[in-house]
Amino acid sequence: MFKVMLKKEILQIISSNKFAISFAVCSILILLTFFVGANSYLLSRDQYEAAVQENIRGMDGITDWRMINHRIFLPPQPLAALVNGISNDIGRNINMEGMGELRAHDSKYNEDPIYAAFRFLDLNFIFQIILSLFAVLLLYNAINGEKELGTLRLTFSNSVSRSQYILSKIVGSFSAIIIPLLIPIAIGFILLPLMGVPMTSTDWISLLGIIFSGVLYFSVFLTLSIFISASTAKSSTSFLVLLIVWIASVIVIPRASILISGRLVDVPSVDEINSKKSHYMRQISGETLSAMGNFKPTSNNDIMREFNEFMDEINTERDEKVTKFNSQVNQERRNAQMEQEKLALNLSRVSPASSFYLISSSFAGTSMELEKNYHEQAKAYQKVFADFQREKEGMTTGGGMMFIVRKAGVEENPIDPSELPEFVFKPPSLESRINSALPDLGILFVYNFIFFLVGYVKFLKFDLR
Amino acid sequence: MDSNIENNNKKPILEAINLSKRYEDNALALDNVSFTIHPGEIFAMLGGNGAGKTTTINLFLNLIEPTSGDCKIDGVSCVSKPLEAKKKVAYVSENVMLYPDFTAMQNLDFFIKLGGRMNLSKDEYKSVLKRVGLQEDAFNKKLKGFSKGMRQKCGIAISILKDAPAILLDEPTSGLDPKAGAEFVNLLKELKKEGKAILMSTHDIFRAKDVADTIGIMNKGQLVMKKKQSEIHNEDLEQLYIKYMAGYMENAA
Amino acid sequence: MLKLIVIKELKNIIQSPKFTATFTTLSVLLLLSFYIGINEYKYSLEQYNTATLLANDRVKDTRSWMGVSYSTYREPKPLQYLVGGINNDIGRYSTIVHSDEVKLRNSAYSDDPLFALFRNIDFSSIAMIVFSLFAILFSYNAINGEKEEGTLKLIFSNSVPRAKYIIGKIVGSWLGLVVPLLIPILLGLLLLLINNIYLNGTEWLSLVSLIFISIVYLTFFIALGTLVSSVTKSSVASFMILLVLWIVTVFIIPRVGVMSAAQMVEVPTISQIESQQDAYSKDRWQIYMDELSDKWEKRRAAMAGMTDEEKEAYEDDMSYAWMEEDDKARKQVEKDIADYNQKLNEDYVKRKIVLEQLALNFSRISPASLFQLAAMNLATSDIELKHRYEESMREYKNRFMDFAEKKQEESGESGMFTIKMSSDGGFKLNDGRQEGGLDVSELPKYVSPKQNYASLLNSIILDSVLLIIYSVICFGIAFAAFLRFDVR
Repeated sequence: MFKVMLKKEILQIISSNKFAISFAVCSILILLTFFVGANSYLLSRDQYEAAVQENIRGMDGITDWRMINHRIFLPPQPLAALVNGISNDIGRNINMEGMGELRAHDSKYNEDPIYAAFRFLDLNFIFQIILSLFAVLLLYNAINGEKELGTLRLTFSNSVSRSQYILSKIVGSFSAIIIPLLIPIAIGFILLPLMGVPMTSTDWISLLGIIFSGVLYFSVFLTLSIFISASTAKSSTSFLVLLIVWIASVIVIPRASILISGRLVDVPSVDEINSKKSHYMRQISGETLSAMGNFKPTSNNDIMREFNEFMDEINTERDEKVTKFNSQVNQERRNAQMEQEKLALNLSRVSPASSFYLISSSFAGTSMELEKNYHEQAKAYQKVFADFQREKEGMTTGGGMMFIVRKAGVEENPIDPSELPEFVFKPPSLESRINSALPDLGILFVYNFIFFLVGYVKFLKFDLR
Repeated sequence: MDSNIENNNKKPILEAINLSKRYEDNALALDNVSFTIHPGEIFAMLGGNGAGKTTTINLFLNLIEPTSGDCKIDGVSCVSKPLEAKKKVAYVSENVMLYPDFTAMQNLDFFIKLGGRMNLSKDEYKSVLKRVGLQEDAFNKKLKGFSKGMRQKCGIAISILKDAPAILLDEPTSGLDPKAGAEFVNLLKELKKEGKAILMSTHDIFRAKDVADTIGIMNKGQLVMKKKQSEIHNEDLEQLYIKYMAGYMENAA
Repeated sequence: MLKLIVIKELKNIIQSPKFTATFTTLSVLLLLSFYIGINEYKYSLEQYNTATLLANDRVKDTRSWMGVSYSTYREPKPLQYLVGGINNDIGRYSTIVHSDEVKLRNSAYSDDPLFALFRNIDFSSIAMIVFSLFAILFSYNAINGEKEEGTLKLIFSNSVPRAKYIIGKIVGSWLGLVVPLLIPILLGLLLLLINNIYLNGTEWLSLVSLIFISIVYLTFFIALGTLVSSVTKSSVASFMILLVLWIVTVFIIPRVGVMSAAQMVEVPTISQIESQQDAYSKDRWQIYMDELSDKWEKRRAAMAGMTDEEKEAYEDDMSYAWMEEDDKARKQVEKDIADYNQKLNEDYVKRKIVLEQLALNFSRISPASLFQLAAMNLATSDIELKHRYEESMREYKNRFMDFAEKKQEESGESGMFTIKMSSDGGFKLNDGRQEGGLDVSELPKYVSPKQNYASLLNSIILDSVLLIIYSVICFGIAFAAFLRFDVR
């Protein structure tokens, strides 16, 4: 009996025009997203490589390692093109110096505001907005529509139990809607290597994670639709209710909760922080300047090298102080930010759309962690870079004052840019991605479970007449 | 007469025993209704809108629970063992609406399997569809193009194929053209011969008189009249109907 | 007759429970967008004020006009918080310093990526997404729904001309949707006034035009709904078609248009440009250094054979001339570099404009893009925003640098950092700076680029005319289709 109902449910969905149209639109959009994503990844990879080369080429003919203008870049990641997260909002380029605070500049959107105006097409968007809408559309009348049709009475004139019916309804509509969707997704998967996008095994597993969470999110809207459809008598009512819930959870709650809670917690502005820092910096550079007067060369041999080392010592000492001060100020801001972030995200989790966003961006490595990650790795590289400069020239850059002395008439040897240690960005490990995605995955599970359960119970009391 | 004696010896298929239904808003939809229908017997319920005809059918289908009393199908209580009882009843609604995106055959297939008959062949479906008078070229067309009469025929086909001892018909002839109506009456007579017990609610006084063995008139939830067809053979049922309705009104007043 | 049809249509819309539900939602959203916009604006204004004060303080802290650095901030404009556009995506300030190009940096979103997560909830996004949905929800069954209910047949059993009916229908549904919408919008404007948000004349005009454009946008979707409803038989079909069209116009075309344009026109990234600029400047400085070494060699050669006292006297005599000479050369280098950068930037901007135009033209197929472009232009949060500010900041930088130079000369200090180093005397430092801070009272003031209403109007004319044309075409087709509609 269950099998008969299951089969009918699947057949009913698949043979409807509604399904045909939504399936076609979703398939096209999913394929388009993979295609466009792969293309834009390849494009930004080319640009990234060109930038790295240009950076090295710019060092040609320079004779002192302290004179190079070294930049590091955030390399594009294949998954970031599929789930943008905040990757387009944060600065990507860092001017590298051996000391001092690193600041990332030139977010994609700042550089190309036109993208900011229209945004990108990514999987997150497709799932979050389009698929959820189709879920609502396909199942808003799952129960009350059958009542309106009269088939509910006819069905229950047979020896069919309610729980059997609702279970077959849920299982049937799920398999009818979700399984076909996996086809364009699978084609999208194949498209990636075909178009030459290099995917590591971590990338693949993360992509699977994204799809899995997408399906889970999608099914929240399926169960929700069944629940609402079992709680209202008319399908036009359930559609309106669902549409309003959809607008609220997809468009309003995530944004409003972040904006409102973001403003509840006061975070000192970047400008205030910067101003504090530069004030301190100015104060302390006066001290450095006077300290410089104390330089007494010990011999006549390589007086410049000796001076550089002397300066480096002063600079290091100063840098330590500055770093200590800065990190203290930064920490204050960071703490406030963390508090703000926590509150905002927790509030936004009322909406499954936010949870899904957080999961997919964690899997793609484009969550809020990306900025911290990049910053930390850049800081680690800064040490490597500083040591390299010290080894070559006796001092490193970024500490403030620096003297480059050229002896008249002496032809200096140009540096060999290939000696420069390379900055390699390590995307987060699979384990850390999964770990940060887990709580929200749990939330989506809970949503599914609750809506399923409430829908089930509601149907047991549903007025079949 | 003979058939009646015969029937009385068998046990009834459809039984309403002091059925009452009071809704949550305290409206009394059904007031202490009792009747029995034996195999090969057709019971026609007449009555205006809201008289309680559909409520009675809903109670037999356990779509609602009675406030008091019981109803049984082939001896099985619809209240305590609804699933068991529903195996023994087929139902045709007033306005048969099947799945619009399914073909006639697909709809039949689903509902008949739901009725517990898993192993019927496509040919059996077709022969019954022919029997109810659906044209052959419509068998594999989607229901959304069907007229009301065609849908009604599919609904009847489903109830025939279920082959249950009891059949509940809710306004089965409304919306049928005279020819289809006449065909339906013939079909009912055939079903009666097969020994089905049929409960039918209708507005159609003339057809009821033509086909029913027993006629009941309902008003405001009460079965105000119940007579054998033989008893009213010579009476004008229309007058009787108006009389009972009016009489009830007087009583109520 | 027409009046009767219009009134029936109005009642039909306003009395439906669908209307109550959607209208309430829409009103809540609109008021929320105004409320959030006002708060965000206030917050940003506060931040802006502190930031400018701090920037001035930093100049005060500085001890020499030589190499002084300043920051100019973009002043937040109230309308930018109703139409976010790219306001939060592009940098908030640029440093004004001799050695650096003017460049907007630190966008609000890059400073606080938290807010970038789900983007803004502003008036324009509400209008773009929800207005259109609202219009579709009420017009998808305008014609075929009446047929399904059988009322169409009844109406045309009277002597009603079709043209009159469809016009009455359109006018009625337009009034039924637009007039109620004006209530929350007017309440929103009231919120602006209550919160003492100051808008100047141009901004008021822009705001009114913004509301006008949103209504035209809504009208387009009413027209589209009526059109689809009069060419399809069942309302279920017309709803599906409209929903797909809605997704495509509101979400897909704008994005895909821009992305495909980007894959057609190759524009170097900013980091590539900057690396080129760096390389040039390195080269140029290298040449300067080489020349400088040669000069010193000559100067030293001239002193050959002098006694130490003579040398010192000679150096004292010549030092000013030498400094002048070196300074001149240095300025030439700076000018060369600036020219080169300018050239590269211009080239870059040109290529970028080609890309942007292409992308915009692609996306203009969609009325949603037209609406968005017009709204951004009106709120001055458009794509050119960054360019406009960088341009005006560059101009300001020149003024600022001239001023700083003048001040420097007036102060009489060299401002130069000189070090003398000899094997016996060790180090002698002279940082050429005065004690105490600088007087910032005369500092030239940076003013944001002004746009008058005429230029704003100019910038939205294409998009609004297109939007109107789209609507008229849809109405036209709907009208023609209805004249042939199968009323049976």
